[in-house]
Amino acid sequence: MKRKILVNVVGVLLAFLLGAVVMLVQGYNPLETYYRLFEYSLAPGKIAYTLSKSVPLVLTGMSASVAFASGPINLGQPGQLLMGALLATIGGLYIDLPPLLMIPFLLILAMLGGALWSGVAALLKYWFNMSEFITTLMLNMIADFFTYWAINYPFFEKNANHPQTPFIAKSGWMPEWGNFNSSVIVMVLAFAVIWFIVNRSTAGYEWRLSGQNSLFSRLGGVNISKNYLVVMLLTGALAGLAGGLVVMAGPHRFIKDIGGNYAWDGVMIAMVANSGIILTLVFGFFFSVLQTGSLGMELITAVPKELIQVLQAVIVLIVVAGRGYFETFFAKLEARRKMRERIA
Amino acid sequence: MADIIEMDRIVKIFPPSLVALDAVSVKFSKGEIHAIVGENGAGKSTLMKILYGMQPADSGEMLYNGKKVKFADPGEAILAGIGMVHQEIMLIPQYTVWENVVLGYEPVKFGGRLDVKKARELVKQKIDEFGFNLNPDAKVEDISVAARQKVEILKLLFRNVSVLIMDEPTSVLTPQEIPQLFGELKRLRDNGHTILFISHHLEEVLELSDRITVLRKGKKVGTIKTAEATKAGLAQMMVGREVIFDSIRKNQTAGEVLFETSALNYTDPDKRPRLIDVNIQVRAGEIVGVAGVEGNGQLELVNLIMGLIEPTGGSIKAVGEDITRKPILEKRKRVAFVPQDRANMGASIAANIAENVIMTHHRLDKRFTRWAGRILDFKQAYSFTDEIRKKFDVQMSSGEAVFKSLSGGNQQKVILGRELLLEAPFILLDQPTRGLDVGSIEYVHQRIIEMRAQKRGILMISADLEELFRLTDRIVVMHKGRVVADLVTEKTNVTEVGYLMLEGAAYEA
Amino acid sequence: MNIILGLINGMITSATPILLAALGGSLTYYAGIFNIAMEGMMLSGAFFGMLGSYYFHSWPMGILFAILGAILMALIFILFAVVLKMDEFITGIGLNLFAVGATTYMLRQIFKVKGAFASPEIVPIPKIDIPWIKDIPVVGEILSGQNLIVYLTLLATIAVSYLVFKTRFGLRLRAAGYNRTSLDTSGVSANRIRVWSLILCGVLTGLAGSFLSLGYVTLFSEGMSAGRGWISLAAVILVSGNPTGIALISLLFGFTDGLGLFMQRSLPSQFTSMVPYVATLVALFVYSVRLKKKQTI
Repeated sequence: MKRKILVNVVGVLLAFLLGAVVMLVQGYNPLETYYRLFEYSLAPGKIAYTLSKSVPLVLTGMSASVAFASGPINLGQPGQLLMGALLATIGGLYIDLPPLLMIPFLLILAMLGGALWSGVAALLKYWFNMSEFITTLMLNMIADFFTYWAINYPFFEKNANHPQTPFIAKSGWMPEWGNFNSSVIVMVLAFAVIWFIVNRSTAGYEWRLSGQNSLFSRLGGVNISKNYLVVMLLTGALAGLAGGLVVMAGPHRFIKDIGGNYAWDGVMIAMVANSGIILTLVFGFFFSVLQTGSLGMELITAVPKELIQVLQAVIVLIVVAGRGYFETFFAKLEARRKMRERIA
Repeated sequence: MADIIEMDRIVKIFPPSLVALDAVSVKFSKGEIHAIVGENGAGKSTLMKILYGMQPADSGEMLYNGKKVKFADPGEAILAGIGMVHQEIMLIPQYTVWENVVLGYEPVKFGGRLDVKKARELVKQKIDEFGFNLNPDAKVEDISVAARQKVEILKLLFRNVSVLIMDEPTSVLTPQEIPQLFGELKRLRDNGHTILFISHHLEEVLELSDRITVLRKGKKVGTIKTAEATKAGLAQMMVGREVIFDSIRKNQTAGEVLFETSALNYTDPDKRPRLIDVNIQVRAGEIVGVAGVEGNGQLELVNLIMGLIEPTGGSIKAVGEDITRKPILEKRKRVAFVPQDRANMGASIAANIAENVIMTHHRLDKRFTRWAGRILDFKQAYSFTDEIRKKFDVQMSSGEAVFKSLSGGNQQKVILGRELLLEAPFILLDQPTRGLDVGSIEYVHQRIIEMRAQKRGILMISADLEELFRLTDRIVVMHKGRVVADLVTEKTNVTEVGYLMLEGAAYEA
Repeated sequence: MNIILGLINGMITSATPILLAALGGSLTYYAGIFNIAMEGMMLSGAFFGMLGSYYFHSWPMGILFAILGAILMALIFILFAVVLKMDEFITGIGLNLFAVGATTYMLRQIFKVKGAFASPEIVPIPKIDIPWIKDIPVVGEILSGQNLIVYLTLLATIAVSYLVFKTRFGLRLRAAGYNRTSLDTSGVSANRIRVWSLILCGVLTGLAGSFLSLGYVTLFSEGMSAGRGWISLAAVILVSGNPTGIALISLLFGFTDGLGLFMQRSLPSQFTSMVPYVATLVALFVYSVRLKKKQTI
């Protein structure tokens, strides 16, 4: 356990070191930059904002983590997020309910949208054995264009200057208290539910073991194809939920590029978290810290916030490579030690 | 004849405790055909792999032409003139014969362009020189297995090796193809090449070799001149001396038939028949052993019983019910299974011990779940893990430890515990004590006997004849996909079974 | 007639970067590498190509820089996937994301703009008019007057085909993909071959990138590879790497892309943009069904 934490921490520090070198070469002050980065995102007034911004990262991260840990390679979070956002927006445009009902209603629509989209890929695999790796990727592009069309034509806000839908009903706006957005509560609830399912339920147990060794699980009587379908639907729903929340907690309407880079960041987070649910939450929040902080960082030290994008990718590469390297390194040490014991 | 290769006190240990070679010393003479024989796990492949540079020895020396050598990889061995033809053909199936032979030593024209004409010519030359019957333009995947083997040999001869090591060369050949290979090998020897070959086929060893070295359980039993050897003598050297193994079974009459396969047939996707008309029966309170050299259908039998593949004919019944095509979970209600391959089939080494232990139980035993089977009761899982720890004498820190951290013997005990504690009346064991130390083996044997006393039915596949004689009531011998004998253990002996395993027919004195 | 000519020219323009990247992908495919980083390499090539052309006021420098930029990405891939033996899939994804971030960052840092950078000082890669051929009616308007890169692509297709099937390197390359151990035991380091295949892939994807920022249009915009790397990956998988097959499939994809533009009159543009991706799905469907049929027989 301690070894695992060490790898993550060392990886992150190394990445930060590299970032510092880049900054020095360009004439910036790395220490001050990093200070401003964290100050901006973690200061008492700001931390609520950072938390709110971490919601789509954590949710898409969990979508990817659960999928990867269970077997299916679901890379469709970008598309599933958009479809979830779209369905929630449509619900918010045509139906009005009191907030207590409206919010859960829209969230369910969002999850439905995401699950539907991942369901397409799941069915294509089930019926035709089409690799979900490629189908989810293609479906991302298709969802991108489809939603763009949707906000340009059928759901277009008349007289708007850019493609967007009208505002959704006020009852569907996630309540806010200062900088703290209630979507964080949804995220925490979702985290708790997912953690519970993955680590405590029978199904979650089967998923994890199937992801680790599908032959063993199959021999143990686990129904691999049924579980595959359920995992695809569930992870699609999670990404869809992220999309719904982005609309409901953010601009309250579907605008172009509303998905931003969230979903791909989520995939990265899942990788650096090695598909662990808790680590996904931690890294999701950490990446939000980096991203929110980058705005402040730029304001004060003029280091462009895009450096953070690079930093994120480097963290992923180093931590994952380091993890693998550590493992082989320690395994070799163990084997050598045991051999010496034997011969002695 | 001068010694071309000398291997001196070679030791090889596979962690943590498997002694594959125990100070083995052998001398090979130049220009001879030397056979290395022994049972599965005797150490023959390992010895040759060390010679060839595929594995390092833990201790000991090698001399080649009088000089001390140590090859870091096969490339170095080949440069020195030693080449190995593996049992699994290491060719590129999609390439032609000549492409495979020249790969790595290709003749080129200006600019790196492959000189196809020259390559084909050179290969054809070699083919004619050694009298192989090969078409250089045929694709390797289209030619017979015997021809593929020749291509492997040709590849080495192309690189001018003078020592050829062959690993079970006849295992991939039909009886008709063997004489041709022998002719070619003898011609090579007459040409001055030295040939070392690994085998466990007594007839062939006697026919082909000049001298024979016998290994058993990592030790050299002896080296003898072929002219002075006999089949029976070899068999005894290979499987052990004629000892009456202390059976630890108590007398009991078997009950009803708990498990049977009827006319079980299986042809693999490459159209090769792997199981032919297999009929096996196991009764309650009976242990039936399956003896046979690996690769004679045991793997397919296991996969069929467990449901990983479907038979092309025949049926499997357990406790009276036809389970041939039932979903695996259904089968598990009647069948407990301890697989040969721990890491890939018997456990998830990344999960912790408790999670490994409740697999299958989690669906069949209500004790481990709550809320109509939806939530796992981990407390029960941990207490079950503890039960297994005590009952099976497992050295483990706690149920939360990663499965990978257990030693091989303890891993096996955990798997046994999980499977034997299922309420299945029929138990399938595949090499249950492979890789275990003596103490663990003893413990496992006791547990298996307990199952027998509890009137369960046990089918045990094992390469260890001692073990079979110790535990089983009956022994079934498999050879080339068929059951060639169904013997009562008390009425047979090691030599008879050993012979049946190796030759597929009874020994005629 | 003009419509058809327009369609064909559009097809060639769309197909060129896909084909180049796919040729690079086919080399790594033959070597047995699971390479999904073409997208990132192409983007890097596009950025550095623009950079080189801008600073040196010359398009040959642009092409050179584009290739170097893509090779840089390839080297990172080699570091993580080959040297550190990290999973090739994760490396590819990480690399793609790194490329997006790095090029966007450098765009801002060096050119002080966001979104896109265009300038008259960027020298585009010229079109080539072939004498005589350009005077042939109809056909001449297609065969002559194309961008230099298009002609290079033609050469590249032939060159890659030659390399893979007629040279010693090609023999070893395919052997690495078929059976690494077999190659290693033949005395050739499979790892070295794989490294070379990645570097060559860098050259080709760099060329593709240069076409994006210096050929078709003369600017660099964030993420301008726009999923073409993914399409080229699909192309490689669908034809199992064969260069001629890749050329045909790329033309097909280019055609659907152009067709999409053409169909814009009747359908909203967003649906027409989807066409290449839907086409990939259909192609994958056909492939999977054929595979299933083969297995049941």
